[in-house]
Amino acid sequence: MTTLSPRRGAPSSYRPDARNGMLAVPYLVPALVLYVGFVLYPLVDTVRLSFFSWSGFRTRPQDFVGVDNYVRLFTADPVFWRAMLNSVLWVALSLLVPMLLSLVLALALNRRMVGRNVFRSIFYMPAVFASITVAAVWRWIYNPTMGALNQLLDHVGLGGLAHEWLGDPSIAIYSIFAASIWQAVGFGLVLFLAGLQQVQQELVDSARVDGANAWHVFRNVTLPALRPTTAVVVVLTVINSLKVYDLVVGMTGGGPVQSTQVLALWSVTQSFQNHNVGMGSAVAVVLLVISLSLVVPYLVWSLRDNK
Amino acid sequence: MLRKFLATATAAVVLAVGLSGCSAAGANDDKTLVFWTVTQGDEQLPVLEDMIQRFEDAHPGVTVDLEQRSIDAHKDALRQVAGTGVGPDVYFYWEGSGLAGELVDAGLSADLTSYYNKYDWDDRFTSAALAGITQYGGHHGVPWTRQAMAVYYNKTLFKKAGIATEPTTYDELIADADALVDAGVTPIEVGGTVNWHIMRLLDSLVETECGATTATALFSGSASWADETCVTASYEQLKTWGDKYFNDGYLSMSNDDSSLLFFSGDAAMAIEGTWFDGTVVENGMDPNELGIFRFPTGTGRLSGFGEALYVNDASTKKDLAATFLDFVTSTPIQKDSVGTWASLSANKEVAAGTDNPLDALWEPFFTEADGVYNPADQSLSGEVTTEYWRIQNAVLTGEIAPADAGAQLQTFIDGSAK
Amino acid sequence: MSSSIPSVRSGVRRRARPDWFRAGLWVALLLALIVWSIPFLVMVFTSFKANADAAASAPWLPPSEWHVANYADAARTGRLATTAVNSLIVALVKVPIGLAVASAAAFALSRLPFRGSRVLLAVIVVGSMVPVQIALSPLFTEMLNLGLLNSLAGLVLPYLAFGIPYQIFILHGFFSAIPVELEEAARLDGASTFRIFWRICLPLAVPALGALFILDFVATWNEYAIAQTLLQSQSNWTIPLAVQGFSTQYSTNFGPLNAFIIMSVVPVLIVYLLFQRSFVSGAFAGAVKS
Repeated sequence: MTTLSPRRGAPSSYRPDARNGMLAVPYLVPALVLYVGFVLYPLVDTVRLSFFSWSGFRTRPQDFVGVDNYVRLFTADPVFWRAMLNSVLWVALSLLVPMLLSLVLALALNRRMVGRNVFRSIFYMPAVFASITVAAVWRWIYNPTMGALNQLLDHVGLGGLAHEWLGDPSIAIYSIFAASIWQAVGFGLVLFLAGLQQVQQELVDSARVDGANAWHVFRNVTLPALRPTTAVVVVLTVINSLKVYDLVVGMTGGGPVQSTQVLALWSVTQSFQNHNVGMGSAVAVVLLVISLSLVVPYLVWSLRDNK
Repeated sequence: MLRKFLATATAAVVLAVGLSGCSAAGANDDKTLVFWTVTQGDEQLPVLEDMIQRFEDAHPGVTVDLEQRSIDAHKDALRQVAGTGVGPDVYFYWEGSGLAGELVDAGLSADLTSYYNKYDWDDRFTSAALAGITQYGGHHGVPWTRQAMAVYYNKTLFKKAGIATEPTTYDELIADADALVDAGVTPIEVGGTVNWHIMRLLDSLVETECGATTATALFSGSASWADETCVTASYEQLKTWGDKYFNDGYLSMSNDDSSLLFFSGDAAMAIEGTWFDGTVVENGMDPNELGIFRFPTGTGRLSGFGEALYVNDASTKKDLAATFLDFVTSTPIQKDSVGTWASLSANKEVAAGTDNPLDALWEPFFTEADGVYNPADQSLSGEVTTEYWRIQNAVLTGEIAPADAGAQLQTFIDGSAK
Repeated sequence: MSSSIPSVRSGVRRRARPDWFRAGLWVALLLALIVWSIPFLVMVFTSFKANADAAASAPWLPPSEWHVANYADAARTGRLATTAVNSLIVALVKVPIGLAVASAAAFALSRLPFRGSRVLLAVIVVGSMVPVQIALSPLFTEMLNLGLLNSLAGLVLPYLAFGIPYQIFILHGFFSAIPVELEEAARLDGASTFRIFWRICLPLAVPALGALFILDFVATWNEYAIAQTLLQSQSNWTIPLAVQGFSTQYSTNFGPLNAFIIMSVVPVLIVYLLFQRSFVSGAFAGAVKS
């Protein structure tokens, strides 16, 4: 396995130095120009636009409306709360299903066996595909008449279980989520596998010598040692859940009856399809606030660990 | 490894600059017209490409760059490029105020009055066609088709259900649908994922229940959806159709998927427009086995809309675009392509085609019609249309009761940006 | 790796149980693998079926006749060649430049600390973690005003901006762990800051740079949202846009549709199979500190 951790040695100590500031400038400028210009500036503009009413057409004016968009968003937007619910649901389900599944798979694969690399490769492979492609693949699988799922159910005599996977508003979001599991498990799998490699073998051995069975070893040795990895997986899973977009666009476009809308998509729909940039920006700000409130604590934790 | 990065980067930058230079030149040079339209059917594409080829042959050095998109993607793309310099030079669009009207407002359509004078287009098109062009003041677009929509039906399936004559009242239509159900036939196919397919039925139901005057008032905003009792009746009827007469699984299907049911003889009816005459033949049906009747709204108005080819106001090649539009709507070209996109050409000198027996059925509909009612998404703004579709689907799934639908829609309309 | 020492010590009787367990586990994994692979299988089979065959036969059965023409049809209809070239250009330009810019910034933030450099790092990294959809509408307007809308060059700029923060985060971790003695020794020899960057820090980070290169290449290739917003002409489309376009326009041409999807993932698959280690060395994806 490629060694990725840098060489051991006394790490440089943090000694802020004004002279360093001058030296650092040429190294920082390109990154900062790009970042400020194409990330921070649009972000700030989104916040600004959420207080305006604008159709998005360059030829039309932007009218200041204060918090009207937010009021309307929270009280009169029939789709917003559904989108919010779906986003929260997605986060919760992602922590429950793919994460646990990837942990189980990692535990299973964390031993010498025939074809271990093949297993790992195949389980990870869907994560390498573009989400929009995964959406196209699963849309075909969920096709009510010709798709593999309903045909398979019919074939094994479970035809009664056949559903309109993407057409029934009560299950469509779960169908899309199932497709996301196909992609997400690989991601957690490799993280947990790497974390498991860090579990010190001596601890496992001494626990076994003490008579601990597999479950005790897992609970008292493995799990605690996995804590840093688990924290990383949790945060990344949450962040990735909030970013869901391509899958929904590719599979249902937010329908049926807007039942699969998520915050990221509703924001874009409002701005670009409904020509209501003010509302779209308000949704985006809500998403931004949610994201920041999850990301910042993690950053503080991980950067504090660093030095 | 670093030197490799640098080398790759430099090579790539050179490549990129070179190639992007090429593609930019391709789109911006004076002799290329960019033409956006919706995805053409198997029989339509060769005809369109032939028109383009003949234009290019007649104008050496000129190329027409054709781009096709699915209907919804086409709408999204055009809305996005309003006010930018990256839109097409010429584009196909629907004439209604909720569609082309929004683009005209956004500055995406050039006023072609000077070209109308230059090419005498006022004499070329029927007055009905021109009405759709002049509705925004000046002249926007050049008529491409006058479309009408009605109910296509499979004569064999109707016979099987014991239906002897076409329905002339709404009650007869319902009775026929029931008869089809009894005979084990899916009465009508609709594709739910493209909301405008179901919308067509709802539009006709509103027309039926509310009558012409109220329906017009509702869609133009002068009547309230919350106050008119016929609105509830319309949504109730929609729910009935959804519960009893639609194809199974309609909410998951696109209209392409659901149309397969019509083509294979698994569904008896489809609400489609004159373009469908060619589509059914393409998909293997015998046009003599099909009939068309107007949705029995009882108002005398025909469900219809116009489609036109527009010139982007931001285009730097308007003269060339006008030449192209003049060419494709000219009598000889239209004569050769009659029936491909509609049963009748917008060009008044071109007679209806005789190849497809279905084309002839439309003439009386046009001549007897006492006016036209547009599809909802052509009258309502983009934002309201999204909500209209959500409510329509929610009524079908039972999420919103028919009695509440009108009020919800009106609340949204009242709160939406003007 | 699990140890086998206990079982050797306790003799034959203890050995029997792990074998059954292991065999059962392996079979379970194999079943999971098969289920996992079904989507691929179905896609491959359908891509070789003529439309009538696709309608008639079950999706998991091989085609009665391998209709290779689907691939040619799909490539032509979906303008595969053009979009593949576009995707390649964007990736080959963006990835090296991004790494260069990110390494420089990471170097500065870790080896040349100044007042506020940690805050700056935090601000930069935050940007990598918010969904890009939040910025799409103003980004569109900004690129429009810069005259860079609908161009591949215009696409590269936001790609760089959104990709760099994460790379800075990872590389910062690497650079920070380089022993200060190396740097001090070099300075004593009269090395300039640039030399320290170029000759000491970067070479030490080569494994990270290599893995980041691969990951970034794939991520760039697969990006959809920004590309969809900024690229209007189909001649400028990247592969993900072409896949979505094909899927919506030709949804009932099952054969060519699946053929197109397969062709669109082949480049990424090749990269993945060749450089698997870079992907599955999970220490990376999560910046787990060891």
